[in-house]
Amino acid sequence: MSTLAGTLDADVPARDRLGDVRETPATLDAFLAQVERRAFRMAELQLRQREDAMDAVQDAMLRLVRHYRDKPAAEWAPLFWGILRRRIVDLQRRRKVRSIVVGWLGGGRDDDGDELPAWEPADPGQDPLGRLHDLESYADMAAAVRKLPTRQREAFILRMLEGLDVAETAQAMGCAEGSVKTHLSRAMHQLRDQLEDWR
Amino acid sequence: MKSSDPYRPDDREQEPFERRARELWREAARQVDPTTAGRLRAARRGALQAARVPVRHATRWLIPTGAVAAIALAALMIWQPLPRAPASMQAHQTASATPEADNELPPDAEKVDPALYQNLDFYAWLAANDSQPVNR
Repeated sequence: MSTLAGTLDADVPARDRLGDVRETPATLDAFLAQVERRAFRMAELQLRQREDAMDAVQDAMLRLVRHYRDKPAAEWAPLFWGILRRRIVDLQRRRKVRSIVVGWLGGGRDDDGDELPAWEPADPGQDPLGRLHDLESYADMAAAVRKLPTRQREAFILRMLEGLDVAETAQAMGCAEGSVKTHLSRAMHQLRDQLEDWR
Repeated sequence: MKSSDPYRPDDREQEPFERRARELWREAARQVDPTTAGRLRAARRGALQAARVPVRHATRWLIPTGAVAAIALAALMIWQPLPRAPASMQAHQTASATPEADNELPPDAEKVDPALYQNLDFYAWLAANDSQPVNR
């Protein structure tokens, strides 16, 4: 297969495609310490709200430890990212419901009768992007990733940024490996178009 | 610069794109502010601590056991009612419970023969004489 997705399949165990060694941590504590900040970034990228992102990560940690602590360490990564992904989707659905309720109550339109954007909670915290060394590049990438459809965004974050292999990504996303390749291929295509000047 | 077919990108182009994205991603994770990092650490410890606390089996079984017991009791009450009192006591209770027992007049005047009310004086005399002893 000569598609872009096909070129992304060459998985090397314990070593991601960019050469970073992915060591399997010995303990759950070590594993969670390794992924907690990236998990927060993933949740924040998708939820756009730090408190919700923190809640999602906290809940994912708790569920992983409670239900899967006896699983082999090699399975922790796809399990954890899968739990976190579902939690993020749950929170997004809740927001959607809240937006609908606000719409029913008459708060979904402005004075001119135009529909207001979906409700999103205010974020009182400090803008984390302000601390980034390469603020502009990350902001561009984050904005482009946020524009992707949900499944493409998940595939890109898990497969490309987090470095899970296709099988792990499929497990975390709860879909077939072929679907991962398709979503990723489309995501890469769209991101390349959007970030043409970014590289 | 893009390749002519975006679905068949040149690997020499693709890798820097991915590498750059990954670097920014890792950098963003490293640059999480100290407060958030502290909260993440606390969340991790909390999750691990919660797993160490043994689940109380008594609590786990108490709710279903209580529910089963309540259902069994309700079923028992429905299918096997409380034992009845003896017939004589029941009759007494019934009699004392009826208003007729304490009231000499019929409860519902409309249902009684109107002729009874026409000779009330006679009935009063009869009752008075009947209560006196007969001296013959």
